[in-house]
Amino acid sequence: MNVGQSFKMAIKSIWGKKARSALTMLGIIIGVAAVVIMVSLIQGMNRKTMERFESMGDNKIEVYASKWWGGNDISDQLYDYCLSLSDLVVGVTPQGYYYPQNGIKYGTNSTSNMEYGSPQIYLGSDQYSLCNNFTIEKGRDIAYLDVENYNQVIVLGARVAEFLFPYRDPVGEIVNIDGHKFEVIGVYAAKDPDSQWSMDNMAVVPSSMNRLLNKRTSFDSFIVKAVSKEATTEAITLLDGFLSGLIDSFSGYYSVYSQNQWMESDQSYTNMLSLVVGGIAGISLLVGGIGIMNIMLVTVTERTREIGIRMAIGASRASIILQFLIEAAVICAVGGVFGLVVSALGTVVAGKLLLDTVLMPSMGMTIGAIAFSVVLGIVFGLYPAMKASSLQPVEALRGE
Amino acid sequence: MKLIELKDVYKIYNEGMENEVRALDGVSLSIDRGEFVAVIGASGSGKSTLMNILGCLDIPTYGDYYLDNEDVADLTNRELAKIRNKEVGFVFQGYNLIPELTAIENVELPLIYQNIPVGKRYDMAMDALERVSMEDRADHRPNEMSGGQQQRVAIARAIATKAPIIMADEPTGALDSRTGAHVLEILHRLHSEGTTIILITHDGNIASTAERIIRISDGKIIMDCPREEAGAL
Repeated sequence: MNVGQSFKMAIKSIWGKKARSALTMLGIIIGVAAVVIMVSLIQGMNRKTMERFESMGDNKIEVYASKWWGGNDISDQLYDYCLSLSDLVVGVTPQGYYYPQNGIKYGTNSTSNMEYGSPQIYLGSDQYSLCNNFTIEKGRDIAYLDVENYNQVIVLGARVAEFLFPYRDPVGEIVNIDGHKFEVIGVYAAKDPDSQWSMDNMAVVPSSMNRLLNKRTSFDSFIVKAVSKEATTEAITLLDGFLSGLIDSFSGYYSVYSQNQWMESDQSYTNMLSLVVGGIAGISLLVGGIGIMNIMLVTVTERTREIGIRMAIGASRASIILQFLIEAAVICAVGGVFGLVVSALGTVVAGKLLLDTVLMPSMGMTIGAIAFSVVLGIVFGLYPAMKASSLQPVEALRGE
Repeated sequence: MKLIELKDVYKIYNEGMENEVRALDGVSLSIDRGEFVAVIGASGSGKSTLMNILGCLDIPTYGDYYLDNEDVADLTNRELAKIRNKEVGFVFQGYNLIPELTAIENVELPLIYQNIPVGKRYDMAMDALERVSMEDRADHRPNEMSGGQQQRVAIARAIATKAPIIMADEPTGALDSRTGAHVLEILHRLHSEGTTIILITHDGNIASTAERIIRISDGKIIMDCPREEAGAL
């Protein structure tokens, strides 16, 4: 008997016992759906975290250095040192902060009225946007000469530009920050349009405005941008060495750290989490498989007489085994397909509800789940099939 | 030429134990091609065991069985399945049709195991049904048919492969005398076409229609002669 015939018979027998087949499949459906949904969710969560890390700026090293005496500004020294690391480092900027008391004003409109709070103003060099992954959408960025010449210019984040200038081009307009006039020279492209506490709710002025706004001339926070992940690790070690020669524990304090370290630990954490959760969900799939074996054993016992008849009219052991194996594999495969449909829906719904993003099970997982279901059917169907075929025809015929 | 030859065959259950049963106790017989043999005996005499061994449904504990001059003990499982498929057609007392399948599907089953393509298979099965006048019930399931009709379908299944031997174990046992007679008539017609028939029965009236009578009791053959010499049964 060929496989096609066995296949038809299997379908017939499954269809003949609809309720039982459906219940058996349910075990597989739940198992497959549990595994796929759990793993997809964790992968989605991971991807979302990684995206956020990246838009904040990957390969970004944050340097904090403060000296209590002996000249407290290390900006120039750090800048020169970074220049000497030009094959590892692509940019460096001081990072200062100013929080305007009355917001950024344009005419009668002030960012103090923004729903989720007034933006932070950053003081940075011409490399600020490079270090923090901002790109110019309109106008121009802060230039080296703006810093050198104490130009009172400002580049707005997308959220701020949208709030202050809903109907006009902000470039060339003058805004007022606590009594100081700044010319808007550009607007950054939005990179985080959906969240309330948006990374776009910001503005940047040249670092030399420190004197005007903060009444200070030195910075203690810096951002160094490395060319790659590997370069980040190397640059951290070098910067640490450089700073330890500059500042000892008596004269001040310094720290060098990168978000990459967070990303890496986050990545290994999610990998572990998907293994654990996938494993737990896998147990339910295993239970589903045992359900298959149970049903196949019952089926074999129930159909002993049928097996006897088939043997009496010429079925070989191989064709009896084939028939029961195909039956188990078909139940599992159909269960697996339904399980995937359920898990695709479940993943989309759970992704929308929990992560507010559109998730789909990956192609690899889809193929894997169906293949695994079929293997499950064959593995758990094998024992009952062997049992069925090992009977002498006359013994099987006596069975009721 | 001998089609079937048994040499000193034993079938012993629970051998050596207190509840030892000798279902066949040293049986030797031979049957030629084209014979119509009735095996007669009381229930428990071993006649069904004899048929199971003759039909390769069971294996003897001791002794040799030559089918078509081939020692059955030397055959593999696959070859035994092939013999049951091609050489022997079985008709059982309990019909033994598969309840989920229609009449024609039941008749097609042995042809499926021969890998005969769909179209030809259908024609052969339909032909077999016609020979037992069951062609108009082809799409009925066993539970939609009477006992006599089911037995005729079972005969159709046995003859669909054009097997040279038909073994019938109490084929009329569950039928009333009129339908029983009809089933018997079909067997005689097959015999007249050249098929070897081995009929197992406890009923003397039915056995008396055969050419040769073998009487078995307590696992031993106590009589083996042509009908004319058998006397009253």
